[in-house]
Amino acid sequence: MKSLRMHAIAAAVTLLTLPAFAQVSDYHDIKTQPLHQIQQPQPKRVQLANGMVIFLMEDHELPLINGGARIRGGARDIAAEKTGLAGIYGSAWRTGGTESKTGDELDDFLEARAARVETGAGDDSTNVSMSVLKGDFDTVFPIFVDVLQHPAFRQDKVDLAKTQSTTAISRRNDDAKGIADREMSKLGFGADSPYARVPEYATVNSVTRDDLVAFHKKYVHPNNIILSFVGDFDSAAMEKKLRAAFGAWPKGPQASTAAPTGGTPARAGVYYVAKDDVTQSNIYVVHGGTGVLRNNPDFYAVSVMNEILSGGFSGRLMNDIRTQRGLAYGVGGGVDATFDRPGLFHIWMGTKSGSTVEAVNALRVDLTDLQSKPFSADELAQAKESILNAYVFTADSKAKVLSQRVTLEFYGYPADYYQQYPARLQAVTADDVARVARKYVQPGQTSVLVVGKAKDFDKPLSTLGAVTTLDITIPEGTAKAATAGGTAAGSKPSTSSAEGVALIKKVRDFVGGKAKIDAVQATHSVGSVQAQTPQGPMEMDVDSVVKYPASSRRVVKMPMGEMTMVSTPDAAFMSSSMGSQDMPGSQRTTMQNEMRADIINVLQNIDNPKYMFTATGAEKAGTVDAQALTIDADGSAVKWLVDPSSGKILRRISQSPRGESITDLTEWKTFDGITLPISFTTTTGGQPSGSGKLTTIEINPTVDPKMFEKPAAK
Amino acid sequence: MKGAVRRLSTSFFLLLTITATLHAQDLASAEKRTTVRKLDNGLTVIVMERPEAPVFSFTTIVNTGSAQEVPGITGLAHMFEHMAFKGTTKVGTSNYTAESAALDKVEEAYGAYDRARRDPVNHDEAKIAELDKAWKASMDDAQKYVVPNEFSKIVDRAGATGVNAFTNDDETTYFYSMPSNRVELWAYLDSERFLHPVFREFYKERDVVYEERRMRTESTPIGRMIEQALAAAFTAHPYGQPVVGWPSDLQSFSATDAKAFFAKYYVPANMVVAIVGDVKASEVMPIVEKYFGRLPKGAKPDPLRTVEPQQTAERSVILREMSQPVYFEAYHRPAETDPDSATFDAIETLLSEGRTSRLYRSLVRDKKLAAVAAGFNGFPGRKYPNLFAFFAIPTAGHTASEMADPIHAEIERLKTEDVTADELQSLKTRAKAGLLRQLDNNSGLAIQLATYQTIFGDWRELFHEVDKIDKVTPADIRRVASATFVPTNRTTAMIESAKKPTASAPKGDTK
Repeated sequence: MKSLRMHAIAAAVTLLTLPAFAQVSDYHDIKTQPLHQIQQPQPKRVQLANGMVIFLMEDHELPLINGGARIRGGARDIAAEKTGLAGIYGSAWRTGGTESKTGDELDDFLEARAARVETGAGDDSTNVSMSVLKGDFDTVFPIFVDVLQHPAFRQDKVDLAKTQSTTAISRRNDDAKGIADREMSKLGFGADSPYARVPEYATVNSVTRDDLVAFHKKYVHPNNIILSFVGDFDSAAMEKKLRAAFGAWPKGPQASTAAPTGGTPARAGVYYVAKDDVTQSNIYVVHGGTGVLRNNPDFYAVSVMNEILSGGFSGRLMNDIRTQRGLAYGVGGGVDATFDRPGLFHIWMGTKSGSTVEAVNALRVDLTDLQSKPFSADELAQAKESILNAYVFTADSKAKVLSQRVTLEFYGYPADYYQQYPARLQAVTADDVARVARKYVQPGQTSVLVVGKAKDFDKPLSTLGAVTTLDITIPEGTAKAATAGGTAAGSKPSTSSAEGVALIKKVRDFVGGKAKIDAVQATHSVGSVQAQTPQGPMEMDVDSVVKYPASSRRVVKMPMGEMTMVSTPDAAFMSSSMGSQDMPGSQRTTMQNEMRADIINVLQNIDNPKYMFTATGAEKAGTVDAQALTIDADGSAVKWLVDPSSGKILRRISQSPRGESITDLTEWKTFDGITLPISFTTTTGGQPSGSGKLTTIEINPTVDPKMFEKPAAK
Repeated sequence: MKGAVRRLSTSFFLLLTITATLHAQDLASAEKRTTVRKLDNGLTVIVMERPEAPVFSFTTIVNTGSAQEVPGITGLAHMFEHMAFKGTTKVGTSNYTAESAALDKVEEAYGAYDRARRDPVNHDEAKIAELDKAWKASMDDAQKYVVPNEFSKIVDRAGATGVNAFTNDDETTYFYSMPSNRVELWAYLDSERFLHPVFREFYKERDVVYEERRMRTESTPIGRMIEQALAAAFTAHPYGQPVVGWPSDLQSFSATDAKAFFAKYYVPANMVVAIVGDVKASEVMPIVEKYFGRLPKGAKPDPLRTVEPQQTAERSVILREMSQPVYFEAYHRPAETDPDSATFDAIETLLSEGRTSRLYRSLVRDKKLAAVAAGFNGFPGRKYPNLFAFFAIPTAGHTASEMADPIHAEIERLKTEDVTADELQSLKTRAKAGLLRQLDNNSGLAIQLATYQTIFGDWRELFHEVDKIDKVTPADIRRVASATFVPTNRTTAMIESAKKPTASAPKGDTK
């Protein structure tokens, strides 16, 4: 009734007002004037003699100055065993204060001025930012400089950041979408990829203040920094201040600009994560080995394809899955476009548990359509006009223009990249889009990931294909022991326990006693190892020389050839008939950690405060009762299960990127008064991963120092 | 340390004068660039000129939210927001005359089906199935005339960004940004969608909205907790109802219900439009008047009758979940228009903003009990008496209930100790700078201007907010804290970790 009356009034008003005001009655009749252009100025670029690049952008609208330093080196450059280091660094860098002021003092000083100096870490860089009322610039800028150059990383704030990290780990399975995002990355990039791995208790616990100091020392040098300021200042005066602050800062080692690669994507299939407290499934369809760099000529056609597939309500996915089928509130995705790193193809949606399989099948049709359903002229025009008409928003503030310029500089892209963009996008044809759809999207290679409650699904997931269930249980790491000890979760013990020291001394007696062990300078062992590989079991002969405390050389003979791996405190490389190359950071760390936790090394360092021993209770090694001995070997964590009566090590447990690694030491033999294991079998993440047998161990062999040198390039 | 503190104190005075001057300039500058007009039909239009780039943003606020809903139609304000993207009599249809007739049949068929399935006495499954089938057939018929998503396609293609809307307890807010040569297209489309709305694809969209409920509420522990906490905290006032709606209502209400709701609340006198950007008021105002002036006059809806009665007993909600613990507690406070609002805002800042805030320093930094601890007010809305809430996310190994004592200790401090001059000055300075930092983007400004105009009847209140905070005294804080933060005025909600159950059967072959 009411609505009828309203429509009657509306009609009357329309009739009355139409002749008086010449408004159009159809949107097609609206005339659009050309957009009047306001040319945004480009920032001023200055490069100091020490390599620091500075961009300055005046913006006098408000009495504010904002700025920041972007520094090369980030989470992706960190060894897998220390995953989480970047986040802790990004937090403790600021909260840990500077050499002259604590973080708390900085908080008081800055917040009283409504000013901010903050630090953070990203995937490929870290940053220090500041935001200040113009009048306070000269008081606050010295703090910005101090944080950049003289951070203190005070231990209490390092511990606080680690507590925050472990809390985040403990909560990561509470959020269904978070689980889906994480597992999707692992499927697409591979769980061991620098772009997919996530912090675990063990990796967070292994991060020390020294690691943060070392990271800072490695990367924070003027030649790795791009500095930028925008706001109410005079560029010439600002340049003078910045030169005065940074001109004398000496150059440091140049950080690598190469994006790391690596990671083995999962086999295509259907993957399931059980999450029982939800009514909606989180679904991803994903495959790796794709992505387009923004300087690849295909980038423009991929952008148009992504827009057609997933550009808001105009895109095919939203139109089909949401509007037509009512299956989802959110759906979207596409091919990753990145500046320098590999990417994925992925589509996400959330649908009620009872339409999970129906929704996946609908998504699969949309994917096939991407390659078979022609891109219509209207779709192409809709996508291109949407992007191009909205292009003005990419530069609608001076801060945005500045930030784009910093990005281009960081990734080494041409300064006029964004000016070139519209013409290149305009040139994209329907054929281009069809071509990149076939090149960058492989519907047959996709994995389907479902996070949800299987009991409520419309059909069994197995109707979609063979299902692999993913176990997302959070590995305990050493957090449990730390909590049990009464310390904050995530922090590790800072001293050995008396029981721990007693137990390690028992092991020392079993192996040969203090005097004999301290006399060991090197060992040379020969044997064979059988390793489980994705291609099946592989036999390898191993010849290994260890020079204590920190050098090792391992020659591995495999069916396809010989490989030498050398790790010393100064270098780590691998060489084969193909030549030699530096070891990837993660592998280097693995070898160094193995070396620190080597039996002889541990026994020689019982009195070293960097080695900590904690007895963590009774535990079974298979069926044998044993005592657990948790060892922090200078940051390398390992647990030994020790026979309390003999002091023999029965089992060795450590964390590896593929899960918990358990090695049973099944046979021991004495060489020159030193008793060492000669047979072992290992399981990793619950799967058998290898076994080995040593035929001889020579104690204190002659060691040619040259064997640790990298051969000259051929 | 001591030296640093003394330096801080002396510089405060200087700082105060600087920021006070800035603030006066901001308001003067904003006033110079802002034009407000009330159209003949009662619609309020605000235009702020900000020619930084050739773009503009708009916000339309309808002074109606889920607080206007009664049992049976909860979720309807939000549902209408979704329908506002479905087009008009000219946009989104291939033949409106035929479509309109088909939609009438959908309503008829749905009404018959819905009455039958809800009839508790003559529950006839066969009849219900038949009516269900007829209803679905009528929808298929209406669907033939739909040009899907045409409204969104037109605005996207014209270069719109941030095309969206949200509904909360107080208001329904529509917004996007466009290149500045599209003002007339915007004025046409956004007036048409309230002048000639068509409730097409209503029931499919209702399913979409239910998916939104599953995503935001049902499938997240905190979503479930907040729904329970609000239901416990409010016994009479609609703030206790979820914005997205209760499941039964969301699965029952009809397009006819939505039309009635629209007719009652979407009247120009109940709406504010704000435009900010590269536009001239002299050019834009006539265009807005031309198009939005067509909206028919209507009686401004009566103010809400129900007032939440004073709470006299402490309430508590405990959720035993398979997730990590969370702590929440809330106290009733008066509406945003109350003179003590600025004091509540000051308390919020003092307790929660930045690493100098009291809850951070106590629970996060010193006691290491929480990863996050903060208070916030104006929850779930601001227009009517609402809640001052506290929450804490315990660090690994700590329980929800461990959060209560340290939070209460900070609350007691507010009542028994004067806030220090430094703390008070710091938060006042930050309030002023915070205002300044909001002034640098069109869409943020448009939303703020329209919101303040809606709540206070004057957009200038956005700038006066800092004056009110500036007048807050230590005695105000003690008085307000003492009156508000008492156990009988408290509702506590906790997520406690239940024993981890075994995961549901894997492999998918379960049903």
